[in-house]
Amino acid sequence: MLKFIVRRLGSSLVLILVLSAIIFLLQEITPGDPVRAYIGLNASPEAVAAARESLGLNSPLPLRYLHFLGRLLHGDLGVSFRTHRSVVSDLGDFLPATAELVTVAFVFALVLGILFAVSGALRWWGTSVLRGLLLVLATGPSFLLALGGIVLFYSRLGWLPGGDRGANASGPTGFLMIDSLLHGDVAQWATALQHLVLPALALAIAPAIAIGRILRASLETTMNADHVRTARAKGLSEGAVLGGHVVRNSIGPALSMAGLQLGFMFAGVVVVEQIFSWPGIGNYLARSIPVSDFPAIAAVTLVLGTIYIIANALVDLLQAAADPRLNL
Amino acid sequence: MNQLGGKRALKALVAVAILPLLAVAGCAGKTSSQGSAGGKAAPTDGVLTVGLLGDIGQPPDPDVYYANNGCAIILNVYEGLVQYKNNLDKVEVAPRLAESWTVSPDFKTYTFKLRKGVTFHDGTPFTSDAVRSSFARRAAVKGGAAYMVEDVASVKTPDAATAVVELKSSNSAFLDYLASPFGPKMVSPDGVKKNAGSDNAQTYLSTHDLGTGPYELSDVQVGSKYVLSQYKDYWGTISPFKTINMPVYDDVSSLQLAIDNGDVSVSVANLPSSSLKKYQDSQTVASYFLPTIQSAMIFMNPSKDFFAKQEARTAFLQSINQKQLVEQVLGARSTPATTIYAKGMIDDGSDKQNITYDPSVLSKYAKSLPAGTAMVIGHASDNVNAQQMANIVAAQLQALGIKASAQSYPTSQVFNWPNDPTKGPDVFFDGNNGPDGGSPYMWGHVFWDKTGGINYFKCDDPSTDADLNAALKTGDKALFAKAAQTYSATGCWMNLSYNKDWVVAQKWLTGVPESQNIGANELNFSMLSIKK
Repeated sequence: MLKFIVRRLGSSLVLILVLSAIIFLLQEITPGDPVRAYIGLNASPEAVAAARESLGLNSPLPLRYLHFLGRLLHGDLGVSFRTHRSVVSDLGDFLPATAELVTVAFVFALVLGILFAVSGALRWWGTSVLRGLLLVLATGPSFLLALGGIVLFYSRLGWLPGGDRGANASGPTGFLMIDSLLHGDVAQWATALQHLVLPALALAIAPAIAIGRILRASLETTMNADHVRTARAKGLSEGAVLGGHVVRNSIGPALSMAGLQLGFMFAGVVVVEQIFSWPGIGNYLARSIPVSDFPAIAAVTLVLGTIYIIANALVDLLQAAADPRLNL
Repeated sequence: MNQLGGKRALKALVAVAILPLLAVAGCAGKTSSQGSAGGKAAPTDGVLTVGLLGDIGQPPDPDVYYANNGCAIILNVYEGLVQYKNNLDKVEVAPRLAESWTVSPDFKTYTFKLRKGVTFHDGTPFTSDAVRSSFARRAAVKGGAAYMVEDVASVKTPDAATAVVELKSSNSAFLDYLASPFGPKMVSPDGVKKNAGSDNAQTYLSTHDLGTGPYELSDVQVGSKYVLSQYKDYWGTISPFKTINMPVYDDVSSLQLAIDNGDVSVSVANLPSSSLKKYQDSQTVASYFLPTIQSAMIFMNPSKDFFAKQEARTAFLQSINQKQLVEQVLGARSTPATTIYAKGMIDDGSDKQNITYDPSVLSKYAKSLPAGTAMVIGHASDNVNAQQMANIVAAQLQALGIKASAQSYPTSQVFNWPNDPTKGPDVFFDGNNGPDGGSPYMWGHVFWDKTGGINYFKCDDPSTDADLNAALKTGDKALFAKAAQTYSATGCWMNLSYNKDWVVAQKWLTGVPESQNIGANELNFSMLSIKK
């Protein structure tokens, strides 16, 4: 296990290094001028030139890359050209909002995925309607789901808010639902939850189907497997059969898919955050790209890359825990 | 039996899985923060909600901020010495923190008599020393609009209520610099000193303010919302709105739904023209079309083969059915431009734009070109109106046998073209742009001079630049008009439309036109009120 973790850590560092080099190269060949984001679009050429010099953008590319890596080692991701703030500070503000949204969306995806899989595997009466509905929703792109959700639940019915987080993050975690509980503020907890429902569902539907389909196929196969029949024949209780033989043997592919989907959710959060005006890193990235705010773009990309790598490593570990036959 | 038992256990598992979803659904009842279709009554809590489309983009520091919608904050938190007169469709400088002023005949000395009884939000009094230190801070910070004080040689303060600004050279546009939304604003000298840090208080002013305006910056959540609170000791008009809540919407559809539901009270220049009819016919929401010094424009790229010659550029501009294009795409928010400068910049109309619609000239020219000659019509990717105009013109050109196509470009790329115009399209439709202030010099310099910043393709005419620079020293309107006519004849550029601020507000909100001025593109919230 330790060997696996060390190996994963090493390969992750190499991947992140490669990712940072690619981003740097892309920045160089992209025709945009990031200085305009810093100093203002209508700034005179003289002002732009002075700002470019002060930002160190006139240095050769390899030198800038080395500076970037040197700062990265010290946890310094530079200053955003757009917000004029430290990117680390920006991420500190925006990342918790995204993490909370994706966490809730991931829980929704797991719940809906399990519902989809189990109702399908057991062929419950009437659940085909639910599965059909989920499938139809999953075929729609997330922006359409998001807009449809806002129109129906905010504009028409008035049941749910149409955007933002509903309250200020007051620490210490940046997760409003946790912070409000820590402060004993139940009303704020409920508000935060209400604001999370629509964006989280918009983000969760497609991953739920992906996870559900894999889990369903796995469950169907395992429930009819010889070893399950043998376990029952031995007189094991159904709980023991399910826990020890069905779920553990079915969960591997679904876990793998869930890990993959978690990574996709972080990457796909950009569109959903824009529609719901969610103050997360997706929105931060979407605002930074048109003005070539490289420090911000690089930081978000590195964060997303790191999350993706960690999520997949965790899935490997969970799979190994669920199925001892897997050798890490 | 065992199989049935397994199914029961799985059903229990599913029930456990469904519970959290049911709990969430249970929590989702109607709350006071949510509206229903058809708008809301006027607020009774003194909160005005102003919807922003997109974040303000830069810190709300008056010496740093040089972008767009953040002016709503700057102009309500800070004040300059002068401003443009409100509720007027032409530029006219009006008092703000200066009650009166005199200008020397050589446009080198500007003497301001300052308003008494004004205090900064930190409680310190506004005096002539603040003029001196505010100008000095702007020069030191070196933001995009620092050019406005670059020419200041000194600010003398003979007494607390008099500031004498000496310029290094004659500048007839200096009052316009001061009246500009990006012009120097008065910042508390004591506050800056106290919070200077290592960056001239830039860090402090990214989340606080040190102005004299009717509102104080009380909460900054970058990318999410900005909140202003009424300054109780403000010298001017006090509105019933104690708090201005400015949520950021990143999607125009979400903003529109919030306006429709009454969750947003007012939004300035944010909605697409495609929504014009909906809001003009609305029972609950009012539309105001208020004057600006902004225009839709066409920039020609002389570094491209197609438009290397003046004849070709002019032929293209003549092929544009200006009236039809403006009415079709921009509708009530614009009128076709008839002058080369913004409307009213030159009083006598001697800057009339003489480009007559005649598509046959380009048609004839197109026939002389090799078959299938391509032309790219560019537009900014975030400007729906420009995109629509580019598409319409491309279709019209295709009918003439030109292989024209419309292409979008991100803003950062557009503003990089002056470094290498060959990387730009053949022609660029700019849906909305304007100078920092209302002086003809500011207009001509920024759009026509190759060093101006928004002459994207450096289509330059040295005699125009010389005339503009000479007119800047004397304020000679005839020379400004001559510069305009000379530049227009190059076929490098066309003023397509006079654009207006389309303000959408709940019908209970009053004072909207009175709170807007032609240079600001934003509202003075202290002049808004609630219908009785």
